[in-house]
Amino acid sequence: MPGGILTLITFVPLVGAIVIAFLPRERPDLARFTALGTALLAWVFSLYMLIGFLPTHPGFQFVEVADWIPAFGIQYKLGADGLSVVLVVLTTTLTWISILASFGPIKERVKEYMISFLILEVGMVGVFLALDLFLFYIFWEVVLVPMYLIIGIWGGPNRIYATIKFVLYTLVGSLLMLVAILATGFAFQDAHGGQWAGAFDFEQLRAFAGTTGFANGLQLGAFLAFFLAFAIKIPMFPFHTWLPDAHVEAPTAGSVILAGILLKLGGYGFIRFALPLFPDAAKTYAPAIIVLSLIALIYGAIVALVQPDLKKLVAYSSVSHMGFVTLGIFIFQQQGLYGAILQMVNHGLITGALFLLVGVIYERTHDRTIAKMSGLSGRTPVYAATFGFFMLASVGLPGLSGFVGEFLVLVGSFAYAPAVAGVATITMIFTAGYLLWMYQRLFFGEMSAFLHEIGSHLTDMRPVETLTLVPLATLVVVFGLFPGLVLHLVDGTVTSVLNSLGRATAINLLFWQ
Amino acid sequence: MSGQDLLTISPLIAAILVAVAVLIVDLIAPGRREPALATALLGLGIVAILTAVAGRTPGQAFGGSYTVDALTTFLDLLFISIVALTIAFAPDYLEPRDLPIAEFAAVLVFALTGAMLIAASTDLLVLFLALELMVLPGYLLAAYAKHDSLSTEGAIKYFLLGSFSSAIFLFGLAYVWGLTGSTRVADVAAELGKIASGGPALAPGLALGLAFMTTGVAFKIAAVPFHYWTPDAYQGSPTPVTGYLSVGPKVGAFALILRLFVGALGSLRGDWLDVVIVLAALTMTLGNLVALTQNNVKRMLAYSSIAHTGYMLVGLAAYAGGRQEGLQGLLYYGAAYTFMNLGAFAVVAALQRRPGVTSSLDTFAGLGRREPLLGILMTLFLLSLTGIPPTAGFFGKAYVILAAVQAGGPLTILAVIAMLNAAAAAFYYLRVVVYMFMREPATEGEPQRHGNLVWAGLWTTSVLTILLGLIPAPLLSVVSDAARALGS
Repeated sequence: MPGGILTLITFVPLVGAIVIAFLPRERPDLARFTALGTALLAWVFSLYMLIGFLPTHPGFQFVEVADWIPAFGIQYKLGADGLSVVLVVLTTTLTWISILASFGPIKERVKEYMISFLILEVGMVGVFLALDLFLFYIFWEVVLVPMYLIIGIWGGPNRIYATIKFVLYTLVGSLLMLVAILATGFAFQDAHGGQWAGAFDFEQLRAFAGTTGFANGLQLGAFLAFFLAFAIKIPMFPFHTWLPDAHVEAPTAGSVILAGILLKLGGYGFIRFALPLFPDAAKTYAPAIIVLSLIALIYGAIVALVQPDLKKLVAYSSVSHMGFVTLGIFIFQQQGLYGAILQMVNHGLITGALFLLVGVIYERTHDRTIAKMSGLSGRTPVYAATFGFFMLASVGLPGLSGFVGEFLVLVGSFAYAPAVAGVATITMIFTAGYLLWMYQRLFFGEMSAFLHEIGSHLTDMRPVETLTLVPLATLVVVFGLFPGLVLHLVDGTVTSVLNSLGRATAINLLFWQ
Repeated sequence: MSGQDLLTISPLIAAILVAVAVLIVDLIAPGRREPALATALLGLGIVAILTAVAGRTPGQAFGGSYTVDALTTFLDLLFISIVALTIAFAPDYLEPRDLPIAEFAAVLVFALTGAMLIAASTDLLVLFLALELMVLPGYLLAAYAKHDSLSTEGAIKYFLLGSFSSAIFLFGLAYVWGLTGSTRVADVAAELGKIASGGPALAPGLALGLAFMTTGVAFKIAAVPFHYWTPDAYQGSPTPVTGYLSVGPKVGAFALILRLFVGALGSLRGDWLDVVIVLAALTMTLGNLVALTQNNVKRMLAYSSIAHTGYMLVGLAAYAGGRQEGLQGLLYYGAAYTFMNLGAFAVVAALQRRPGVTSSLDTFAGLGRREPLLGILMTLFLLSLTGIPPTAGFFGKAYVILAAVQAGGPLTILAVIAMLNAAAAAFYYLRVVVYMFMREPATEGEPQRHGNLVWAGLWTTSVLTILLGLIPAPLLSVVSDAARALGS
């Protein structure tokens, strides 16, 4: 495997974005295909990385290091372990699918849209690969601006409110995380006789956390700041209120990326940074976080049940599904962690697909109100079947990928506390309830008057739309039958995180020193 | 006075000659902008070269009252950039309004000599004279649109409060001189060092002097609660002047703080730590809160510049809390702030090229469609002001925050306050982006032509805004040399 593959995956989209900037405005198709080509190229590179990745090899692979700001030991350091590989491939896959899905709906300012999307990809891939805390923060913020523009320029009627809310929520979390990152780096420097070398290097920080460990006060504070940043992104109850607004207003492809990747940034942050660096604090706060996860599970499901808007329903289902992720992470237990990672991947595939499907119907009817639709299956059988497939995957039908992740989390949480598993299981009933009910209202019965008015515009799925969904459906089946494909890759990550946590003890919140 | 002394102050002499030359050129070719502008910009280039050359041989002149060190060179070059950029941005705005350009350039260069003298002063009296030399042209510039009542009103406020604060400052200076028996910074520092090590209690006279000087300086940097003159003075002034006022005199006043509070009063820093923390927290928070409610971009930027003063004060507080890094952060932030803020004001000025165009948010509506390049550059400046990486503003903030975290204790809380403020500030900065890219204009305005100088200035500021964020290492080493020159 040649060096520099990670840099290549990360920055190929940037090159594409720069090229698009110089294309003529009158030829939007040029911009579209350049963007698609670039995203496919990044995808191919990421598959190449996947093939070259050695799952049995512990630690990070393909590591690239260069000094960036030597005065503070800040490096340009990229590296991948199983978790990074899985999420990077998910990102590159969903990006080209989203770009393809934008060909029809996006007709205005195509150039700017494609540039935003590719820069978004740079940020997302960078977050999953950065092994320097400072670099990680930069990629983390780079994600923010293009998404702000995508929602704000190409979004729905209430887009400005939604996008500003999205930015402000995210910024509050991330800026506090910056303080925590700097404080962590400084604590490392202080403990190493004032030497900045390695102060932001994740591997050195993790080694330090595993041996000497950071002081309790720093751990409690820094973990809280990291937690806030990641919990807002995931999003966890009660920091989730930006999500429904952002989803409803975002263009279809924006929603796909938002649900598919951006929410995973939070889960990734927990597993990669928050747990290994501040294990004692993580143990201290874990019970509270588990309670919040359970609330998110149930609250998301119940609120989804009563949503009149199809897209909002899927958005709230995300809150509920991501509750499984945080629950799985914070029970600090093997099955739970495996389940959480698998759930992140599955949610990316399934919810991404559901948003694409919502986009299909919205493009034809310019409406998403569930009550106005019924009997869709008569006119659009392929659409109904596809929707049914992904709906069942989201419910957690055994044999499809959604099931395995949730099941593993349930197994893990039963070992942690049967009551927790009990609450989580009840949620699955709710999930089945709101999804099946939604499906019934949309597709069965007589065709509604509203749909009759649409008339001949109400066509079945077009080839391009099918093309975007086939890869996702394939992966949902494959991961449902062979979840080991993913789990095998992340073995090393799970072991190393559990190792970090194994030595940790909860801090007494009243009497810490 | 020796020949060597003259050589040491050659950049200063050159700057004065440039200002005079601009006036003479204007006499020879009255009413034509090109000769005066060319003289000014070429002259500034020469001054910059002389500064760099003089900076290679650090030393003192005039018995220790004038010092050339890494700090002097850094600040001088920064001041020269500020003035050169302002001169580049101004003609497009001034000409349609029938405001003379040559006088504008000459007055600015006179102000530059004051600022450069501050950077090099190591004598309390010279420091005061330099300060006055810097701010007096500022009063003139604020009133530059003399037929505009808003400009006159703002200038009068600026002048009255400015003179008032100078007097207060001078009063405090007198106390320090009386108690230490010297006006040389080195002697004052030595004398105060003895007092500081002698006992815990601060002599009442010294405390009084410190209080007066802090108040005077707080006026000059527009720290809350001494900021009231700022919004009116900024909004009333012609836009390029506002850009200059928000950067030049502010960085100049920070230079004064470095020479006076750090150089001379550094040994008392434990005594002014608390004051600086409170000033910083108030300044950031109030500046941002009021900026949130503004519908006029110029006034919004005026309040936001108050908030940025607060972030810079965080660096000073970190120094007072015992971290040399605080000064480096302050200097880095000063440079970053200079370029991003001048750039933002330049875009506002460019939009107001036609007389009568206001700087309200509506002017920005649809700019992204009308003049995409201008919209993108403005977005870059605003993102940098917000502190989003990879821009200069981000790295400046990170540096200041790092220093505060290093100092620890109450400064960690100050760091958290600063970051919460930055998040709140995102709202009003991004609102401009919303208007530029996400709203349609109320009336269809046609794109305007902008002069080459404006574009050159905009490219300079935007490239620096990105470079200082992406490749901070070179400026970092300059800044740490400059901070080291002050001692600790």
